[in-house]
Amino acid sequence: MALRYRSPWGLLRNPVVACAQLAEDAPSPHAVLFRHTVWLALLPPVFAFVGAANFGWRLGADEPLVLDTGQLALVSLGYFFALLAGFVGAAGAARWMAPTYGATEDFGRHLGLVAVVAAPLAAGAVAHLFPHVFLNLLVLIPALIWSMYLLYTGLPVALGTSPERGMLMASSLIGFLLVAVVILLGVTVALWGAGVGPLLGL
Amino acid sequence: MNAVELHKKLESNAGLLIFGILFVSAIGGLVQVLPSVFQDSLVTPTAHTEPYGALELVGRDIYIREGCGNCHSQQVRPLLAEVRRYGPYSRAGESAYDRPFLWGSKRTGPDLHRIGGKYTDAWHRLHLVSPRAVVPKSIMPGYPWLADAPADAGDIARKMRILRRLGHPYTDAEIAAAPAALQGKTELDAVVAYMQVLGRPPPPDEGNQAP
Amino acid sequence: MSQAQAAAEGASPPNAGATATAAALASYSDPVVRFLTACAVAWALAGMAAGVWIAAELVWPGLDFGQPWLSYGRLRNLHTNGVIFGFGVSALMGTALYSVQRTCHVRLFAPGLAWFCAIGWQLGVLAGGASLLAGWNAGKEYAELEWPFDIAIAVVWVCFGVVFFGTIGRRRIRPIYVSNWFYGGLIIVIAMLHIVNSLALPVGWGKSYSLFAGAQDAIVQWWYGHNAVGFLLTGGFLGMLYYFLPKHAGRPIWSYRLSIVAFWAFTYSYIWAGPHHLHYNAIPAWVQSLGMVMSLVLLAPSWATMINGVMTVAGAWRKLRTDPALKFIVLALAFYGLATFEGPMMSIKSVNVVSHFTDWTVGHVHSGALGWNALITFGTFYFLVPRLVGGALHSVRLANVHFWLALAGTMLYVLAMWGAGVSQGVLWLALDHIGDVRFGFRDIMASMAPYYALRLLAGVVFLVGAVLMAWNLWRTVQGRPTAVVHPP
Repeated sequence: MALRYRSPWGLLRNPVVACAQLAEDAPSPHAVLFRHTVWLALLPPVFAFVGAANFGWRLGADEPLVLDTGQLALVSLGYFFALLAGFVGAAGAARWMAPTYGATEDFGRHLGLVAVVAAPLAAGAVAHLFPHVFLNLLVLIPALIWSMYLLYTGLPVALGTSPERGMLMASSLIGFLLVAVVILLGVTVALWGAGVGPLLGL
Repeated sequence: MNAVELHKKLESNAGLLIFGILFVSAIGGLVQVLPSVFQDSLVTPTAHTEPYGALELVGRDIYIREGCGNCHSQQVRPLLAEVRRYGPYSRAGESAYDRPFLWGSKRTGPDLHRIGGKYTDAWHRLHLVSPRAVVPKSIMPGYPWLADAPADAGDIARKMRILRRLGHPYTDAEIAAAPAALQGKTELDAVVAYMQVLGRPPPPDEGNQAP
Repeated sequence: MSQAQAAAEGASPPNAGATATAAALASYSDPVVRFLTACAVAWALAGMAAGVWIAAELVWPGLDFGQPWLSYGRLRNLHTNGVIFGFGVSALMGTALYSVQRTCHVRLFAPGLAWFCAIGWQLGVLAGGASLLAGWNAGKEYAELEWPFDIAIAVVWVCFGVVFFGTIGRRRIRPIYVSNWFYGGLIIVIAMLHIVNSLALPVGWGKSYSLFAGAQDAIVQWWYGHNAVGFLLTGGFLGMLYYFLPKHAGRPIWSYRLSIVAFWAFTYSYIWAGPHHLHYNAIPAWVQSLGMVMSLVLLAPSWATMINGVMTVAGAWRKLRTDPALKFIVLALAFYGLATFEGPMMSIKSVNVVSHFTDWTVGHVHSGALGWNALITFGTFYFLVPRLVGGALHSVRLANVHFWLALAGTMLYVLAMWGAGVSQGVLWLALDHIGDVRFGFRDIMASMAPYYALRLLAGVVFLVGAVLMAWNLWRTVQGRPTAVVHPP
């Protein structure tokens, strides 16, 4: 059985209830993946594609960086798969940590928790429609703080562990996620250097 | 004796532990840093590199004193974009008279290695005292106090003699003439003089492209 | 090995019976620890306030009011020296002297000399800080202090080593506990780096010329600079972790064997990593490549330690109910994991080519400095200070508020600098269709203002947390004498 909230919108609107339901319903990984994860992972690349195609990337300097549509599609597709890998990877990391912190090992609940926590960020990605870096930070940072709050409060409920162990597990997951983000940054930069994306004079 | 026993010995003998730490941590330095310190080619001046004149030397020391290196690097990397932006990439020999080196680690402001000759003396004077008068959005601090301070602190001959001991080829005549060269000059004059010799003359043509 | 763990276990305040039987032994020299802890807190406030001020100067350059000593170039040196040598070393010295007594079951060797080190160090950093504002600057990063201070530092440092190893020399427990190796590594390696890198010929009291020139100076400086990070900000604080984490958790280190392997691998490999600060600079290619490879190798011992720490806390979750300090250590481990992963990644040449010279490096340093060094020290102080006076922490609630401020401040800082750094990196290098640089430097610099404002906010949030801690700890010790504790 899937989450009673059938759309990603439900996760965003009422995350606390969603966490409680996750624990109650224990949805199958398959159901969470196709009802929530894929759609949440699709939002940012779509916004980014539309935004970059219309306005170009504004990394701060006045003149925007504009890529041709083919390159842009490639980058957006890469973004989608990176996010999908990030969602599943984070859920995998959470399940890997679960026995240490006395949490459930039901993968569907882990995927569900990641979806709940990521929903504000995915929605915040609407800022990608105007890809100005600072505007994006301005929108995504409050979204991120909200996500972190959801992680700390939602994790013990969704995964069925005590608040103290949930706190430890959430901190470990934050460590994991920070590393994942920095890997994404590193891979992106290395790809730029290799000729994908903007033309750099290396 | 297996590793566990060896370690039992190590962890119960303070002297051995001290020696172990010193030995293990020194290897990297001995293999990697020491050969560089004895590699003369790293500090052999290029055919165009001269020791700093008295005024430039004073200017360089003020540059260090004011911490300019916190925001400005002096190292053009051999990358197409950097060579286009700044000029020929930096050669090791060009820093042969730099004690300490000032390559820097951060570019809050632009790289300065090829700044020499790019702007007029008048531009530098105005810019150093009041950066936003010439670059409206600049976040560089102004250095108004340089304009009033005399460049000659009475130690220039001593500075040059010490650098000569370290291998900088100053002649007796140059050292004797140094105080006179600073006569009537301000610290601002000295910094501007230093700016104008930085990276000058540039190495021959091949440096205009990245390798 | 279990004996070594028992040594750490023995560090809890002995019960009344044990105190009575051990009355013949002199009590631990804790007043010097208390003094150093107080100095560390004071330096944290001063150093971080200087950091906030220079962050504000990057947004409003007029904040130096035309004063040389308030100028960014001088104040930044006070910030770095204040937090590394004032806050960091005072905290390390204090916790080293505290833990070495408890892991050896003896009073400090030469307590008078320990006081000399403690006071000498404070005077050195204080006068050194003033000299930096006055414009004395040796011109090498994180080694800006001029030669008179270099000599004073070397003397105090050797005395610290004498006290520390002297205490170990007369220990009553045979195995030397692992925290002491890290503190020992700190003392030995920093002495070696400091002395070699500071070699110079003086011109006057406030001016000297380095014995090394140009490219050679660069290689020596980053051998020093990187390993000051390695053996002081990483290794030294790992010593703190290995002693205080098991004490917090009330259980031994998850894998003592892993801690041994990680220690030697760490000590061996860190020292090679310096040249990754000089990628694409005018030094030999083999030195750069070797520096990069060894930086990647370094990930293994770094993460081994992180896993060891995380697993130790994982089994002690019940303590979280009563111990607000443990949270800080848990989060410190998360940021330690980030910083020790990000570092090797940024040492890869194809990443470094974009990240070098940008604010990404500044963000990386602060994910370590705020997220790891400051958080683990805060956690340690919340644990240590009440014990030093034999009381309870003034306010657990305030400590919890501090935790969230510290987390938010660090996250904001890191994110702001990631944004700024990646933008700078790509915009500086971007070419247009005819192969010329696409953006002027001035435009790129001007566009950093919003990031710098965000970083300033992050710094303020973090500093407010530190002020809350200072107040909380002050109220904890106010009017209470240092507890007298005897070796068991």
